[in-house]
Amino acid sequence: MLLESNEIPNEAALRCELCIVGAGAAGITIARKLIDRGLDVLLLEAGGLAPESATQDLYAGSVVDERLHSPPIRYRQRMFGGTTTIWGGRCVPFDEIDFEHRDYIPHSGWPIERSVLMPFYEDANRLCEAGDFSYRAAEEFGQPLPPMIAGFESANFTTDTLERFSCPTNFGRRYLRKLSNAPTLRVLLHANVTRIELNDSGEHVVQLIVRNLQGKRFSVTAKDFVLATGGLEVTRLLLANRDVHPCGIGNQHDVVGRYYMCHIAGTIGRIRIDGDLDRANHGYDISDEGVYCRRRLALREEVQRSQQLGNFIARLHHPRITDPAHRNAVLSLLYLAKFVIPYEYGKRLHGDDHATFRSWAGHLRNVVTGPFEAAEFAWQMLRDRKLAERKYPSVIIRSKANLYSLDFHAEQQPNPESRVSLSDETDALGMARLKVDWRYTTGDVDTVTRALALLAGDIRRSRVGSFDYDPATVEAEMTRYGAYGGHHIGTARMGSDPRSSVVNAGCRVHGIDNLYIAGSATFPTSSQANPTLTVVALALRLAAHLDGQVRR
Amino acid sequence: MKQSVLVLGAKGFIGSRVVKALAASDWAVPVAASRRALPPDSADQPDSLRLDENDVRQVRRAMEGVTSVVNCVLGSSATIRTSARVLFEVSRSMPRQPRIVHLSSMAVYGAAVGDVDETATPVGELSAYGSAKLESERLAAANPSVVILRPGIDYGPDGAQWSERIAQMLYARRLGDLGAAGDGYCNLVYIDDIVEAILRALRSPNLGGKIFNLASPDPPTWNEYFRDYAKALGAVPLARIGERTLQIESTIFAPSLKLVEIFLRRFGPRLARRMPQAIPPSLVRLFQQEIKLKVGLAEADLGLRWTPLEGGLRQTALWYNRSIGQAKSVDISGDDRVGN
Repeated sequence: MLLESNEIPNEAALRCELCIVGAGAAGITIARKLIDRGLDVLLLEAGGLAPESATQDLYAGSVVDERLHSPPIRYRQRMFGGTTTIWGGRCVPFDEIDFEHRDYIPHSGWPIERSVLMPFYEDANRLCEAGDFSYRAAEEFGQPLPPMIAGFESANFTTDTLERFSCPTNFGRRYLRKLSNAPTLRVLLHANVTRIELNDSGEHVVQLIVRNLQGKRFSVTAKDFVLATGGLEVTRLLLANRDVHPCGIGNQHDVVGRYYMCHIAGTIGRIRIDGDLDRANHGYDISDEGVYCRRRLALREEVQRSQQLGNFIARLHHPRITDPAHRNAVLSLLYLAKFVIPYEYGKRLHGDDHATFRSWAGHLRNVVTGPFEAAEFAWQMLRDRKLAERKYPSVIIRSKANLYSLDFHAEQQPNPESRVSLSDETDALGMARLKVDWRYTTGDVDTVTRALALLAGDIRRSRVGSFDYDPATVEAEMTRYGAYGGHHIGTARMGSDPRSSVVNAGCRVHGIDNLYIAGSATFPTSSQANPTLTVVALALRLAAHLDGQVRR
Repeated sequence: MKQSVLVLGAKGFIGSRVVKALAASDWAVPVAASRRALPPDSADQPDSLRLDENDVRQVRRAMEGVTSVVNCVLGSSATIRTSARVLFEVSRSMPRQPRIVHLSSMAVYGAAVGDVDETATPVGELSAYGSAKLESERLAAANPSVVILRPGIDYGPDGAQWSERIAQMLYARRLGDLGAAGDGYCNLVYIDDIVEAILRALRSPNLGGKIFNLASPDPPTWNEYFRDYAKALGAVPLARIGERTLQIESTIFAPSLKLVEIFLRRFGPRLARRMPQAIPPSLVRLFQQEIKLKVGLAEADLGLRWTPLEGGLRQTALWYNRSIGQAKSVDISGDDRVGN
């Protein structure tokens, strides 16, 4: 049943068995999993079915260094479906090594192994509409694919791992009907949780206070509560409730909001592949289920261990778009169209290069001198992206000169100094706004620097071409666009020790018997992988647990 | 002594399989009856006959001397109603009423959702096909020797509606992954399981008056059916069909195709059959209907075990790719038409 908060009488007391706060990837997954189980579930969503500026403004906050992190109002959506309404759809599971305690990565190690999550990954893949849970090219594609780089052999990197792409599935649109028709589920829109009330001993959530922007106020009591509001908003909710625990809920040891991670990403250097154009195959392959899949250069786990590096992957990429020297009509067309491309996807088009008349003219010249190329690309984007239900995931340019840059995506180490906290400003509901102080470490720079060096050496030794870059620019390139947008990880990390974690292995807040957190906030480490698939897998695991827990 | 079993609608998907199974048995002799022309060599077979199931005299004559009747008659709603009325009236007038196994359909449940057993009542407005089936079931109720079977989505080699047509549309990329529009449950039942149910209903004692749902338990969603069938066929990569496209198909293309088909029939049925299949709104609704047939009764009383989906789809895909191929169009306008 779909309800509006305005339909609820003021000061009403709603009851349910399980209350889920937040209808994004995690919240919708839990609700969807439990709809056939007969539990009385209430799913609270702060937004509506469409974006609304007043609601979205509740996400506004500040950042300490604007060059390093996008404003908190960006890369997350306060509406039904959450940030899946704008995500890119890249699905990658965490690797085995990501769960391990690694001496060379401070604060690493999950309290669960990958095998605990494996039973849920398959279902998670389905919910994300990314096809079978198959992340090896050799397994997924019956007949061998042409090599990613012909002749490339490496003891350090494998080209066999895949990333798979969701439609990208907007969880709100995709599962609205299913949730609305569920007889024991109520979805309540425009329901902002502003207060979590604990009992006197601070060990049990008694009720939530919910408000909307029209002044309506009511309470929700339940056996169990799940906060599934995303890595940043979870932090705000925990820290803003200080009446019983003066430092905030789950924050007796000052861990909430710390260890904040995104990913370390950037584009660097020039890769030249020798020989014919077909020696590089860096684009998408389509699985039998119609899912776009792409191979990457992934740093092998044994090399990560022996070299003491974080997790790292890279892809062949087109040259930097902002510089018209690439002489590519398609890239220049993208540059010229940057004002109609959403912020979350257009950030790299804007870059930190100052647009000049000369650069504009250069891009224009590129388009004019390659009209057929540009027209073909525009048609492909219209057909395969704009109009297609399963969208072509990104721009792939096959270089006529076999020239590429390298796009990398690396694990960011957990760092207690990288944190999200409350500012003195408040929003329209009187809640303190967030202040983001994202920081990277020398270890992060080291992972990227040495992984790139290993790759350059492998390309050279394989005699397939060359990879030229300036090692001195690595740090600048990996921070050129700041923290990777939309990956809000680690702010309520999972662990067995309350002094260094917020939730236990079952995602329950330490010391509180009925409050759970779902989402990437609970990840102790960030992996090379995008978080959504693992968010969904963890949510499915939590749903299975809650199914038994609520019935106890 | 062998049973003599009259099979009405013997040219259809299910009827033809029942005739074969009975002929291969050591306990029954089939009498294959159909209103359409029987195969050329059947003239030499005394156990085949052409009859109009709506004609009381013809049906009475055919039923004389048979121990049982299997009613697989399909076609228009009027045909379903009339043939059922004739069959049950004739049966009641006979000195020794034959056992009748009557093929109904899950369409009698209408828009019902959730777990549905044989006692469930129809929900919402029934389709013309569902109404006809329900009415024929009510006519059967006056006859205590009738066993009613309600198959779900019958599939398998030679299945025009749910195997051949779907395969064509998967190859044509008009069906595929439908997203939220394909989240309904596809209550598949393999043709061999339906035949087995009919044979057991003919032989098991004390089943008169009973009704059985027929479908494999734990049905896949329609999306899963399309995916697995497309993979078995090799009709890959699977297309992703948006709700907008499906809406255009059902509200604009389907009526247009129907009009063109009606027009082309003036020039002969063969031309009309070459038309692409339509996806009417009723089919789109079915793809979304979250109904699960409960089949515990069929398992308990008929002792049925179900063909696993993987095996059933493999056989169906093999048949389609070997015998039909991608080019042929499907005719589902005649007796063989099977509802849901």
